Amino acid sequence: MRITMLTLTSLFILACVVMLPSFGQEAQEGSLIGKQVYEESCAHCHGLEGRGDGSGAENLLPRPRDFTRGLYKIRSTESGQLPTDKDLFDIITVGMPGTSMPGWETSLSTNEREEVVKYIKTFFSGFQENEKPPREVRLADKIPYSKESVEIGKGLYVELGCVECHGNLGRGDGTSAPTLVDAWDFKTWPANLTENWNFRGGSDPEDIFKRFIGGIAGSPMPAFQGDTFYHFGLTPEQSEQYAALEKKVEDGEELTTEEEELAAQYFEINDTAATAALDWAEGLEMSPETLKIYNDAMKVVYEKSWHLANYVKSLSPEKRPEFAIGKHVLRSQYIQGELPALADETWNTLEFSYYPLFGQIVVEPRQFNPSIDSVNVKSFYNDTEVVFLFSWDDKTHNTSEEENEETGKTYQDAIAIQFPVRPPKGPTDPKPYFLWGGKKPVYLWQWKASAPDTLTELTAKGIDKAEEQEAQGNFAVESDYTDGKYSLWVKRSLKTDDKKDLQLDVATFVPIAFSVWDGGNGDIDTKRVISSWYSFVLEPLPSTRRFIYPPLVALLSFGLLVGLRRFIQRRNS
Amino acid sequence: MKKTSLFTICLVIFIVCWIFLRFVIGGIISAPIPNTVIAMYMALIFIAILVHVSVEDSRFTEFLRPVNETLLDDNKRTRRLILVILIPLLLSGYTYSNIAQKASPLGDPRQAHPKPPLDLTYKDEVIDTMQKAHNPYRKYEKEDPELFKEHVENGRSVYYKNCFFCHGDHLDGKGHFAAALNPLPANFQDPGIIPNYQESFFFWRISKGGPGLPNEGTPWNTAMPIWEDILTQEEIWDVIIFLSEYTGYTYRTFGEGH
Ligand code: HEC
Ligand code: HEC
Ligand code: HEC
Repeated sequence: MRITMLTLTSLFILACVVMLPSFGQEAQEGSLIGKQVYEESCAHCHGLEGRGDGSGAENLLPRPRDFTRGLYKIRSTESGQLPTDKDLFDIITVGMPGTSMPGWETSLSTNEREEVVKYIKTFFSGFQENEKPPREVRLADKIPYSKESVEIGKGLYVELGCVECHGNLGRGDGTSAPTLVDAWDFKTWPANLTENWNFRGGSDPEDIFKRFIGGIAGSPMPAFQGDTFYHFGLTPEQSEQYAALEKKVEDGEELTTEEEELAAQYFEINDTAATAALDWAEGLEMSPETLKIYNDAMKVVYEKSWHLANYVKSLSPEKRPEFAIGKHVLRSQYIQGELPALADETWNTLEFSYYPLFGQIVVEPRQFNPSIDSVNVKSFYNDTEVVFLFSWDDKTHNTSEEENEETGKTYQDAIAIQFPVRPPKGPTDPKPYFLWGGKKPVYLWQWKASAPDTLTELTAKGIDKAEEQEAQGNFAVESDYTDGKYSLWVKRSLKTDDKKDLQLDVATFVPIAFSVWDGGNGDIDTKRVISSWYSFVLEPLPSTRRFIYPPLVALLSFGLLVGLRRFIQRRNS
Repeated sequence: MKKTSLFTICLVIFIVCWIFLRFVIGGIISAPIPNTVIAMYMALIFIAILVHVSVEDSRFTEFLRPVNETLLDDNKRTRRLILVILIPLLLSGYTYSNIAQKASPLGDPRQAHPKPPLDLTYKDEVIDTMQKAHNPYRKYEKEDPELFKEHVENGRSVYYKNCFFCHGDHLDGKGHFAAALNPLPANFQDPGIIPNYQESFFFWRISKGGPGLPNEGTPWNTAMPIWEDILTQEEIWDVIIFLSEYTGYTYRTFGEGH
């Protein structure tokens, strides 16, 4: 009896000794569930050890995040701070639009997502070492969206240098855009601010506000905190006065003694505030006075930032243009007489048809990381001709500078518009293969940035089997590249003499598809972005029958009713 | 209270049926039903109602009573006037909207899982007949679980290097390129797919892609690549194993069902 007791006790003690360290370890390494979820769902991208080197990673840009450096883009915390658990949980839940990072809301339970947050935190020791919780960006004094606020924000957009990366109108075409790399030396592009459905961290003014106050860690986009702001610490009026004084000095004018004193005073305020900001950023102990100086200065900064956030919000349409996949129809509208030129106001009377594009990953070499999101099209026609206006955003203007070592070809921007040679006779009549044809050929219009005034007609029986037509048709072509946007204007007659061309008839539905190349993103040959087949039609004028039949129907039914009454009356009598 | 007339009851039944077809079945439960199909059903319902009211003479007279009254009675003048204006107005409005409607192209009728060819091939090499061909690595599931696991992991890596862009991280057909594709990529989480097809069917679909489909599968539209141009046979079999391991479904084996 005693022996069994003894063995039991010693066994118990032994078990405790064995388990103790493992308990401790588990708390540190995150729970088993987190590890399991990570290895099943995340490791093939983020890597078993969290280094962003999973087997699927090599084809992806932006790369799956390397968790070992504690750099997180989407945070609600100040610059230089780690994200909160909620930040991580939220980003895992919704994913990062415009990248391959998916949302896990439907496929992982809340508990699984919470556990995987704990687990990914173990990859970076900074999370454990931090005693204080990360400091969050203050959202309290939000300035609501208004026209005035947007106007003020527009000025700041230039003042703070957003233009250099994001371009004049926000299409991500700034002068430094082609040179940017992230903290891991991978190529990265400034966001296109006119397509906010692709923002990684959400498109609300609050989200945008957090991005430039807190920065996007790991990306070259700086955090706009404290002294990055012009005349940090001065009120807007003081700043205006100071700017005037600075200008005087610049222009070589003498300052009066009073002015000199004022300038010195403003310089002093600016300097103190900047020093206070530095102390704050480093988490140093601050006296109540310095803290007040810092807080007052930040008030001005926050106010400006809300205006800026509202401005960025105003750059995108309210929501992503709708597209009905495969069903969307490009309707060319009839105009009597001359068709509108590229700059004509008439174009504004038409809505764009919006066509989403995807990377060509069907045939090698593939484009896994497309840089062009969509192409917009409008069209008019008259009795003899048809005109198209194609436009698409491209961050770089590549007209053929760089040569590919293997093929000797040049990387340049281009677009090709694809039709079948003959419209299919009905829904069961096979179309050509959507990727530049196959057994059935396609008819193509190709435009390249190196020859901006010409369009080449091609016939293709496969993506690598395209030939220029011997008899090139007569096109009028104009094009333009400004502020990150291409516009291409093409006019052709409805009918041509060439048998290899598509002939256009009113009210006949013709399949249409697009290929676009961004030379700046390494697009060449099959590496490009493409679309599925859509439909194009020369929209017939509304039929005049719509004025004849309805009154006829009304009259007839009225007559019938009266007749019926007569008939019953007669029968009853 | 006055008893509701037979005519009103029939009218209500008729309208309720239409609403049910048009909005409940053809909206909430499944995709909208084409107008011609609805018209056919409504004609059937109309005939059924007619048959029902005309089996007895007395019931038919009762049925027609409100019609007669509305058309003839002096105290129903306003009702008559309203009807005589409203009916022609509605009909002509309907005609107008029909004529003014923009024409739409006809969609491609598409069969999602058409019949495979008799022989399973990789490039031009015949592997076996479609029915007999089997996954050569499947046997390790029981014989050598460690080795089997390697094939699963290889399949996973093939999948996330090549397929998830379209078929999605969760194999649910919602990859980040999927929204721009027509037809949409297959959803392997759908219980109607993996359990209903043999591994050889999957091998055929993966190796020959969209262009390998017969005409009823609209091979000209689908973006599903021809993977035999890019992947080895082993890689294809491995990704097939991965699909079932991840979703928890098992493929149909030859001889069962169908
Ligand atoms: C298909 C590949 C892929 C998978 C699978 C994937 N991720 Fe990611 N993840 C990415 C990419 C790519 C990024 C970086 C996007 C960027 O930097 O814009 C990323 C970024 C992140 C970030 C950083 C967010 C930030 O604010 O910077 C977190 C956290 C994250 N992933 C967690 C997860 C978790 C947890 C899982 C599994 C449940 C997972 N990821 C699965 C590709 C993936
Ligand atoms: C040095 C270049 C640079 C400057 C200057 C810059 N940005 Fe950015 N910005 C970037 C890059 C690069 C990204 C993409 C970050 C990523 O997703 O990795 C980006 C992304 C963004 C985003 C999208 C955030 C998201 O959720 O995806 C917004 C909004 C933005 N920037 C606004 C601004 C504003 C406003 C300014 C000026 C105050 C500014 N940027 C200045 C480079 C810059
Ligand atoms: C470019 C997008 C794309 C890529 C990449 C892609 N698929 Fe597909 N896949 C599709 C589309 C679209 C369909 C549905 C149309 C069809 O049946 O062809 C499909 C259908 C399938 C089917 C047929 C399912 C059925 O029910 O008949 C299988 C199996 C399949 N894909 C497997 C794969 C595998 C495995 C990979 C990676 C090696 C892959 N796909 C990569 C687009 C893609």
